[in-house]
Amino acid sequence: MMPTTGAPGGLLAGHPSRTTAALTGAAFALVALLVLVPLANIAVELASTDGAQALGDVFAGRIARNMLWVPLVNTFTIGFAVALACVVLGGVMAWLVTMTDLPLRRPIGVLAALPFMIPTFAVALSWTVVFGDDRLGPAAAGMLMQLGVDVPGWLAWGGIPVTVVLIAHLYSIAYLMIAAALVLVGRDLTAAAEIAGAPRNRILRAIVFPVVTPSVVAAGALCFAEAVSSFSAPAILGLPVRFHTLATRAYGAIETGSPERGYVLIAVMIVTAALFLALAAALQRRGQSFATVGGQGSRRGRMPLGRWRWPLALAALVVVVATTVLPALVLLLSSFSSQSGNPFASLTTHYWIGASDPAIAQGQEGVLRNPQLIRATVVTLGVGLATGAAALLAALVIGLAIGRLRGRFPAGLLQQLSFLPLLIPGLAIGAACIGFYGAPVGPLPALYGTPAILVIAGVAATLPFAVQSVVSARAQIAPELEDSARIAGAGPPRVLAAITLPLALPKLIAGFVLVFVKMVRDLDLVILLYTPQLPLLTVVAFRYASDGFAQFAHAVTVVILLVSVLAHLAASGFGRATQPWLRD
Amino acid sequence: MEPALRLTGLTKRYGDQTALDGIDLTIARGAFCVLLGPSGCGKSTLLRLLAGLERPCAGRIHLGATCVADGATGALVPPGRRDLGMVFQGYALWPHKTVADNIGWPLEVAGLGRNDRRARVGAVASMLEIEPYLARYPAALSGGQQQRVAIARCIAPRPSLLLFDEPLSNLDAQLRVEMRSELLRVHRETGATVVYVTHDQVEALTMASRIVVMNRGRIEQSGAPREILAAPRTAFVAGFLGNPPANLVTADPLPAWHVDGVPLKAPPVRDGLAVEAAPLRLMVRPERVVLHREPGRHRLPGRFIEALPLGGGQLVGVTGPFGRITAIVPDWPAGRYGDPVHVELPPEPDAVFTRNGERIA
Repeated sequence: MMPTTGAPGGLLAGHPSRTTAALTGAAFALVALLVLVPLANIAVELASTDGAQALGDVFAGRIARNMLWVPLVNTFTIGFAVALACVVLGGVMAWLVTMTDLPLRRPIGVLAALPFMIPTFAVALSWTVVFGDDRLGPAAAGMLMQLGVDVPGWLAWGGIPVTVVLIAHLYSIAYLMIAAALVLVGRDLTAAAEIAGAPRNRILRAIVFPVVTPSVVAAGALCFAEAVSSFSAPAILGLPVRFHTLATRAYGAIETGSPERGYVLIAVMIVTAALFLALAAALQRRGQSFATVGGQGSRRGRMPLGRWRWPLALAALVVVVATTVLPALVLLLSSFSSQSGNPFASLTTHYWIGASDPAIAQGQEGVLRNPQLIRATVVTLGVGLATGAAALLAALVIGLAIGRLRGRFPAGLLQQLSFLPLLIPGLAIGAACIGFYGAPVGPLPALYGTPAILVIAGVAATLPFAVQSVVSARAQIAPELEDSARIAGAGPPRVLAAITLPLALPKLIAGFVLVFVKMVRDLDLVILLYTPQLPLLTVVAFRYASDGFAQFAHAVTVVILLVSVLAHLAASGFGRATQPWLRD
Repeated sequence: MEPALRLTGLTKRYGDQTALDGIDLTIARGAFCVLLGPSGCGKSTLLRLLAGLERPCAGRIHLGATCVADGATGALVPPGRRDLGMVFQGYALWPHKTVADNIGWPLEVAGLGRNDRRARVGAVASMLEIEPYLARYPAALSGGQQQRVAIARCIAPRPSLLLFDEPLSNLDAQLRVEMRSELLRVHRETGATVVYVTHDQVEALTMASRIVVMNRGRIEQSGAPREILAAPRTAFVAGFLGNPPANLVTADPLPAWHVDGVPLKAPPVRDGLAVEAAPLRLMVRPERVVLHREPGRHRLPGRFIEALPLGGGQLVGVTGPFGRITAIVPDWPAGRYGDPVHVELPPEPDAVFTRNGERIA
């Protein structure tokens, strides 16, 4: 078959090269303005005199130990521990769900994919409810301590809890990646080896491990990079005891007025994360090319677990419940408790609807009547919706340009560049945006303190997901569907309105919701960008938590979780409503 | 009478790849013309150029008296204004429209009123026996039903030219036979000119009033099915068409006709035969090959591969240094794979081609 694109007058693939050139130009301009220039700006800052000074200070000065080396060791230790644990936990879960006769493997499999959707700061907050000690005052003591258990300091705050919280969040990525590889190994491959007479451990060694290894290593690298990038978990569980990672140090430096030092640390984070994510991407691609060999694997021949079936199922169930439902439940309960960590404390609705009481939390009103919070909700939803729309628009321009360039060099480059933000920690994108858009750029005024900078940073951070949704929406529409509409006599606008858009809409909406939800529950990206006039829900929750107003923080977090869940439900409902043809 | 379509010097390149190389072709009104060739020969590209989905790099397309595409000036009439319909290999039914809407939407685009549309949809639906499915979405139909909907959608606006791009290749064997006669009926009842792309010679031979054999972006030969079968103009056509296709045996005319040193009976060296174009390729129809179990002077030694019992004889495949030869013989004892077989070619081959495939005798 000849390439079927290249139709004259076709809307998404086509001739008039002037349109293509304009689209391509716009696409590259978008990527440059959103991603490249702000990042380059960090490099420029570092090359300045102040930057050089900061580089020297951070790497070799008197502060180097506290500023860089200790946080670096902390960050890497956490990263490796998280990566290792995620691969083991995620791998075992994946193996149990896909390859064995584990009871309840379906619900366990579904639940194991969810933790990634619960923001780390929510899990971190729920940790303090259970394991917190009285270091921040007797009211902050967690459940265990209230029950009389002597919680050691290392379990309440610092590196260990940060590591555990990140594992609880990230193991589901490892689970998803390894499960995908295992499914593709397929029991056909193992069945073939069984027929050849190979014993079980030999099958594992000779067939399963070689095929799955790239995915396992990729999952480890991805978890490492994510753990190294994380700001929220160490900020909530580390800062109170002055336990620092690169992210919290960079945040501290930028907040306290030495942005250059912060940029140095940000640069270290970017390089580290990018290296490991690039490794993950390379391995993942190899894993996939491996995997395309097998198609429809039969589901026969699950490995019998024997008398371990139920104990293992119970353990897996505990893991998935403890990382999904439990944190949300703990936060919900805490928000109604007069004493956050005390399971025997009286219940109250004060933190939700109570009027100002000077005796509680310096007179803060309940979140549902607190003007600051209502404002934060409005700003968050507004910024989320605007980011979703803007990201989708940017992605449409980029996606259309990629479609029109079909396979030529600039198309590949464009795709790579738009996926670049995946390699960059959210905190770093925030820092890059504030460094560049925080000051006047040419005719553009300084955007610091305006919603625009939040939207720009949000679009930059979520661009990969938005572009992916456009590209996949495009890919699932066979060109013949548009061809036949054109043969029927419809002009480009009519083809777009009657054929392309209705078919692409569900994917585009899914992309929109993904961006929206990412924005609503994000803390890392916006922590440097928000201002008191422009509060965001996650930041408010973080502030409340830092100020010791635990129940308020938890109530706000519950609101965030609720908004995320509702958005997902609305999206899937909308998806069904817009695709009646799938219901038959 | 004005021909239905006329192509002159039609050329299409993708980058440095030439998909169509100077195609000249005229198709009469009401013809059922089949473009036949192996995959990648350019037949689908030709169809897409006819439809207006691609722009020619050079050459012109006339539909009736109108020039709809001119590579020299870049002039191009859009697909919707060419008065044609097209059925795609994958049917290309719009998944979000019901069967009735799939058929009716092109009519709506064409500006037909609601009542006319309903009448027209009803008429084609009854012609193709898909009335019970009008309210369904395409995903709820079987492959054969989807095929019928695609045809109905194509013919509902009553175009004068119907384009089919391998329309039957996604159907199972039985349904394919059924749809062949269905398509012929549609052709008869609409009276439209049909251009039909396939790589399946059975489809071509059973349906076409005219076959255009294509290879590597060029037309090898065009004509009525019998004509092409009887007198292939190139070695490619000789080896591609026919069931089974004719044998092409490489032979050397000097010093005397031989195949790999085995002399041929009654060597047909004649005056004017391009001896310098040697080695030549002899076309021998399977019915004219004689097989022996014993070696002999003019017999090519080979080995038995397989035998397919036909109604009145056997189709026997033999392999040897000469390649593969198929023979249709009245009777052949059950053989084992690898048994020696000795092949005797007739004194007069059915045709002689040069090394490059040109016919010279």
